[in-house]
Amino acid sequence: MPPDSSANIQSDRNITLKAAVLEAMFEEMKCDENVVLIGEDVGAAGGVFKQTEGLFETFGADRVIDTPISESAIFGLSVGAAMAGSRPIVEVMFGDFLTLVMDQLVNQAAKVHYMSAGGFNVPLVLRTGIGIGGSLGPQHSQSLHSWLAHIPGLKVVMPSSAADAKGLFKAAVRDNNPVIFMEDRMTYNLKEHVPTGEKIIPLASAAVKRKGVEVTIFAISRAVHTALAAAEILLEEKNISTEVVDLRTLAPLDVETIVSSVRKTGRAIVLDGGYKSFGITGEIAATIGELVFDYLDAPVMRLAAPDIPVPYSPSLESLMVPSVDQVVAKVSTMFGDSV
Amino acid sequence: MTAKLNRPQSIKLYKDMVTIRAFEEEVRKMFSAGLAPGLVHLYSGQEAVGVGTCATLDKDDYIASHHRGHGHCIAKGSDITRLFAEIIGRRPGYSLGRGGSMHIHDPETGNLGTNGIVGGSVPLATGAALSAKLRGTGQVAISFFGDGVLNQGILFESLNMAALWSLPVVFVCENNGYGEFTEIDDVTAGRPYTKRGAAFDIPADKYDGMDVLVVYDAVSKAVERARKGKGPSFLIFDTYRYSGHSVGDKQEYKDEKERQLWEARDPIQKMAKLMVKMKLATKNDLKKMDEEINSTVVAAAKVAKKMPVPGADDLARHVYAP
Amino acid sequence: MTNSLNIEQNLAILDRMLLIRRFEEMLIDLDQDHDFGHYHLYIGEEATGATVVESLIPTDLLLTTWRNHGHLLARGTNPGRMVAEILGRVDGYNKGRGGTLHLTDREAGFLSTSGLVGGAVGLAAGAGFALKQAGEGNICVVFFGDGSLEEGVVFEAMNLASLWSLPVLFMCENNNSGAISAQEGGFPSSEIAASQISDIPKSLNINSKLVDGADVAAVHTVVTEAVSNIRSGNGPVFVEAYSERWPGSRPLWPEQATGVTQVASAWDESLLTGEHKEWIIEFDPLIRFIRNQLAEGLFSKDELFDRDRKIQTQITEARAFGEASALPDPQSALDGVFAA
Ligand SMILES: Cc1ncc(C[n+]2csc(CCOP(=O)(O)OP(=O)(O)O)c2C)c(N)n1
Ligand SMILES: [Mg+2]
Repeated sequence: MPPDSSANIQSDRNITLKAAVLEAMFEEMKCDENVVLIGEDVGAAGGVFKQTEGLFETFGADRVIDTPISESAIFGLSVGAAMAGSRPIVEVMFGDFLTLVMDQLVNQAAKVHYMSAGGFNVPLVLRTGIGIGGSLGPQHSQSLHSWLAHIPGLKVVMPSSAADAKGLFKAAVRDNNPVIFMEDRMTYNLKEHVPTGEKIIPLASAAVKRKGVEVTIFAISRAVHTALAAAEILLEEKNISTEVVDLRTLAPLDVETIVSSVRKTGRAIVLDGGYKSFGITGEIAATIGELVFDYLDAPVMRLAAPDIPVPYSPSLESLMVPSVDQVVAKVSTMFGDSV
Repeated sequence: MTAKLNRPQSIKLYKDMVTIRAFEEEVRKMFSAGLAPGLVHLYSGQEAVGVGTCATLDKDDYIASHHRGHGHCIAKGSDITRLFAEIIGRRPGYSLGRGGSMHIHDPETGNLGTNGIVGGSVPLATGAALSAKLRGTGQVAISFFGDGVLNQGILFESLNMAALWSLPVVFVCENNGYGEFTEIDDVTAGRPYTKRGAAFDIPADKYDGMDVLVVYDAVSKAVERARKGKGPSFLIFDTYRYSGHSVGDKQEYKDEKERQLWEARDPIQKMAKLMVKMKLATKNDLKKMDEEINSTVVAAAKVAKKMPVPGADDLARHVYAP
Repeated sequence: MTNSLNIEQNLAILDRMLLIRRFEEMLIDLDQDHDFGHYHLYIGEEATGATVVESLIPTDLLLTTWRNHGHLLARGTNPGRMVAEILGRVDGYNKGRGGTLHLTDREAGFLSTSGLVGGAVGLAAGAGFALKQAGEGNICVVFFGDGSLEEGVVFEAMNLASLWSLPVLFMCENNNSGAISAQEGGFPSSEIAASQISDIPKSLNINSKLVDGADVAAVHTVVTEAVSNIRSGNGPVFVEAYSERWPGSRPLWPEQATGVTQVASAWDESLLTGEHKEWIIEFDPLIRFIRNQLAEGLFSKDELFDRDRKIQTQITEARAFGEASALPDPQSALDGVFAA
């Protein structure tokens, strides 16, 4: 285990998403001593996915705090600490365990600032891993971001790539609100060039990851990669020019970018790894319908996880994740006979 | 404390208790007059716990309160006019009138809020204590909670962490015998309840919560311990709520005799008698104080009632911090 | 501890322990070939599960956690179908939807198996409640680790069980002692401020016992008494069965740290060379049991080899059965989201 932080900042700037977030944590903990990391196995063990490796050695047990397995109180305690002047990063090992922190998250953290008429802030980041893959079974594979985005007062961030993850994480730590930062475990090891130095990506800003003029794919987190792969095939095989918008932050939503892309392309499909019913895909489709209906050349389409508990068996598990082929097929239907 | 009780201290304790009693009486009237919307839970009968506890604290120490929290806010030093205003939903209230009785936060006095969730504030106090410890400020946090919280898992999780990390937090359980309409003894396993704290190697004891000096002494020791970095304490105060669970509850589940027994132990009367006996005040002094407090409280209520309600533009403020 | 078990019982326990050990040794190998995701082994804790079931009747109910293989096998669950489940195949007990974390066998009395720390304990109080209502004298046993005592739901459930005298045996398998340190990639030892785990259930007025979980006779004595108390309506009992953690027990991917077990090492220590020799000699419950029972003359060495061989054959067949089982048909993905 590298004992100091410099060893963790790799000189080869193509780094993984996991390493990028770790870098962000190092930097933020270095520059603000009120930033503390709290969670199960985040300290000496360096995280069960090695996602907090080296922090304990650098910042010590006072700032990198191993906790009992008490999600509800760990999170509640972080809210109290945030109200009292600390800036906690709380880790919940699996997004599925958000169910255990729901009261403290929804009834306390999300409302404190409002209820106190601005008197108290809750500057904290709840970091958790989500997503389907690796046969973790029904209780370790859920993506519950839409639940959280439904709650006023919470910010929900879901990066798709390393550079974004780093910039967004730093913004999340500096934000004065409870921010839920969700990483799909299947993106942990995706590498990309991450600039050195301070680069903060503001929350609530979507990014156009590929420019196009005939259809927009809106996606988040891991689904962005599916969208990009589909866009390539659509161009090569069907000559369809596809724009890919990575929403990056679900709440608050960057409505401006969504709307202006649809104005340009006239077609939209929304892609998500969470459940389809009552989820973020419906929200975006409805937003488009409300604001830019007149620009649409086709109904807004959605592709998301089917409404089924995530099964363990690989043959069934893989059916839960919208595939590149499905996206290509769905987009093609939006062009009717013209393709 | 009885032995070395001095006049200013005793008067402060007495006045705070009387203020709370008078305040709650006004709240009851406001509710009956239809002025206080929603639910209000009165603290009358339990004043000794809140007052005795907060008297041991510095202004920048933290408290985290619960749904029966007006008394804590007053004892920690919040402004009664603004408290009334919040309870009847007026703009100068602590939450612009948007929180109400169960959601009063006052950063000035270190008040992390009254709370609508049973047990919800326990980890908040524990977390404030963690922050104080990490920042090395010497602050202490008090977690006030009712007997109902004895059965909430989050209390155990919080006790465990507070003990593991020697956090400067004092767990103050106000055992008024009932959770809503259910007797606590009917739903709580294991006696005495102090074992729940003791199991985590936290010093735990039970005290008379109708005697403000007993409360003061017990909490003082716990606070001192916390400030010295020796960790949490778990204190249970036996007390009684005179009114129903919330205003409007007719309390048919309580029997008359039980009420009389507790009322005979009234914390304000008890303190009054002691002060007279120790020649810290005469009956007349006390009567004058009562009258002054009453008129101050009534006047504050009157002011609050004239305060404006929040405007439509207040609705969406403070959803996110800047 | 003197052995109150008769010969048949002791032999049944021996077979169960051997079965669990050989099954899990096979799993480590199986994972090399199939990479079925993260899993948890019961090696080092077999004496507890293999003995607890001896005091139960077929209509009792059981709940367990991610560390469930031993409990199921002890209760007579088919190892072939277990392998199938672990590989996500149609013949698995959950038709491949649950995997190792959620293995259940209704026939054997198992309700849900929870992958969430503390999750099963809440359900156990409910099962106890239903059994009490039914009034047929059945009880519910819930197995969970020491870490569960850090979860609030466990206190809430124990409070209810105590309050309502529910027929629940809380079997806390404390494998914390000797847990590999967090630095080496293990879960850190559990973080409980209580100096005695049993102080916690005791504070809720639950009768609590402490027992060496690697000592078959001791477990049997304590659990038999507990079960008879519970069955006669005296409310729940909490048993803390402690064991010295198996050195191969890592949170995500176990390692074959102590090598494939050689039963002969019970009498021939020269067979042990690895760095964890001490653990095997002192703490391995299987080796300890064999050593004791040989001394008592329960069986001969030849009989032991014979039993071990039979079990190994059974495991080989189980593996083959599981591997031959098909993956579920994608068409079946929607089945069972809602009950009919
Ligand atoms: C609610 C919840 N929190 C965290 C986890 C991750 N996790 C799985 S096993 C485990 C350790 C549990 O320790 P213990 O209860 O002692 O059981 P052991 O594995 O030692 O048998 C943890 C933290 C989980 N599965 N569920
Ligand atoms: Mg354990």
